[in-house]
Amino acid sequence: MPVGHDQSLHQDGLRKPWATIGVFLLPSLTIYAAFTAYPAMRTIWNSFHRVLPRSDEPVGLANYAELLRDDIFWRSVRNTITWACTSPLIEVSVALLLALALYARVPGARFFRVAWFTPVLMSYVVVGILWLWIYNFDWGPVNVALRAVGLASWAKPWLGDPKTALPALIFVTSWMWVGFNMVVLLAALHSLPREVLEAAELDNCGWGGKLVFVILPLIRATLLNLIVLSFIGKMKIFDLVWITTKGNPLWATETVSTYVYKRAFEWTTFDLGYPSTIAALWFVIVLAAVLALTWLFRLRQKLEY
Amino acid sequence: MAALKRAVLLLLLSLYTAFAAGPFVWAAMLSLRTTTEIHRNHFAPPNPAHWDKFAEAWFTSNYGVYFTNSTQVVVSAVLLLTLVGSMAAHCLARYRFRFNRVIYFVLFSTIIFPPQITIISLFQILVQYGLYNSKLGLTLVYVAIQLPLTIYILESFFARIPSDLFDAARIDGYSDWEIFWRVSLPIALPAVATTVILNFILLWNEFLYAVVLITEEANRTLPLGIQRFIGDTQEDVGMIATGLMIAIIPVVVVYAFFSERLIQGMTAGAVK
Repeated sequence: MPVGHDQSLHQDGLRKPWATIGVFLLPSLTIYAAFTAYPAMRTIWNSFHRVLPRSDEPVGLANYAELLRDDIFWRSVRNTITWACTSPLIEVSVALLLALALYARVPGARFFRVAWFTPVLMSYVVVGILWLWIYNFDWGPVNVALRAVGLASWAKPWLGDPKTALPALIFVTSWMWVGFNMVVLLAALHSLPREVLEAAELDNCGWGGKLVFVILPLIRATLLNLIVLSFIGKMKIFDLVWITTKGNPLWATETVSTYVYKRAFEWTTFDLGYPSTIAALWFVIVLAAVLALTWLFRLRQKLEY
Repeated sequence: MAALKRAVLLLLLSLYTAFAAGPFVWAAMLSLRTTTEIHRNHFAPPNPAHWDKFAEAWFTSNYGVYFTNSTQVVVSAVLLLTLVGSMAAHCLARYRFRFNRVIYFVLFSTIIFPPQITIISLFQILVQYGLYNSKLGLTLVYVAIQLPLTIYILESFFARIPSDLFDAARIDGYSDWEIFWRVSLPIALPAVATTVILNFILLWNEFLYAVVLITEEANRTLPLGIQRFIGDTQEDVGMIATGLMIAIIPVVVVYAFFSERLIQGMTAGAVK
């Protein structure tokens, strides 16, 4: 048997159509390189420089050193992390209750599902303005309702008080995202194996028992995914704060995103190096946090099986 | 007893519905009333309804310009995304080659990047290339930020198309491009539609990149226009509400027709 001939046939069959692959991938890779990879690297380069409109000047680690001493930055980190740690828990737990209610076959479940999902379709700009009004001191529904039930002393400018401003905004994001989480959880509930639930019922397992011992373990992967997703979203939050409070009062609602924006485009320092440093450090923190969360969840899953 | 329980449950669910949708109903009512009427009673229904406020917002408050800009930017970005994204997704799903998964992972992983990591440099880069403050620049950036999600959704769909179909097409003499254009894409139409609707909504609402990359009045998109408008006229609640409705209506129309598809798209990343 002519081995050489056989081999060449074989090679021919496996020859990769590199030209075709190139044509298909080139547009995406070009856009990725030009508008994602290059800017990201340039930001990191910026972070070691003083970047003025007409000149760059290397400053080594000076920006990073300054960042460590920047109280406003640490305040914004604290606010953002508070947001990113509380929101997912509120959103996912309320969403789970609502999903269970719809799972119990109430009439009109389809309508509820579509209606609850609406807030997440609106831009943060629209949502922010609506909630500025809802929290309005004089005529916002929240204060109007408090006065109507005789709790006038509780009425306050919710977004103007350093103590309540951040919780009030966290509440808004929860309002917005509960419906989204609910829909995902409902889909997970509907895909549960019917036999398992029926077996639990045969074993005389009550609703509470069924929830804790059967349903929750089965949808755990979905729950954890939603938590990570919500966490990532809150680590990036900008629009809502920018429309409602711009980080006020007294940096009570300053997030890392708004602070970067202020330092880059609002403060008249004209230096893009320092805000790039914040962005670079924050990028590392977000990446590390997401990796840690997924690793942690994976680990627990392995331990229990 | 069971009926009572069900009634209580329904009542709670209705209350939550009022809480979730109430703000929009309120905004819709405000949008049809004048600010003087509103200050008399903030919660009254529009009587009579001032439909002419929409014309006023459109023509005198510049919302027509914002709306046109948003439409231009979003439609061209979505078209580009669909073409470029489905080409890449088809390639990654269909061809086996070295670095396939590496490229997929690199493209997809940008989904968790905080936008700050690119936004300051994007500002510098667009200024350098004369794309700052232009709709073209914003469009290209929008394509870049939605590309990972688009490729992710489409790739998982393309990968499920049975490969017999492609072998048959190849035997029939289809070229690589024809296989993509006349076999893959038509079959994947439901997934393509999902990404189109999803990208439309997300980009229609986009604010951060727009606020950094656009400053000129003539190029403002709707979210920017609304922001400028509240800056100028803090107190004119009625007109602000009309502006909000102009921004919301396209989203509501899309949602009314494609609610299931949209929910599917939005939740695609979460279920995996």
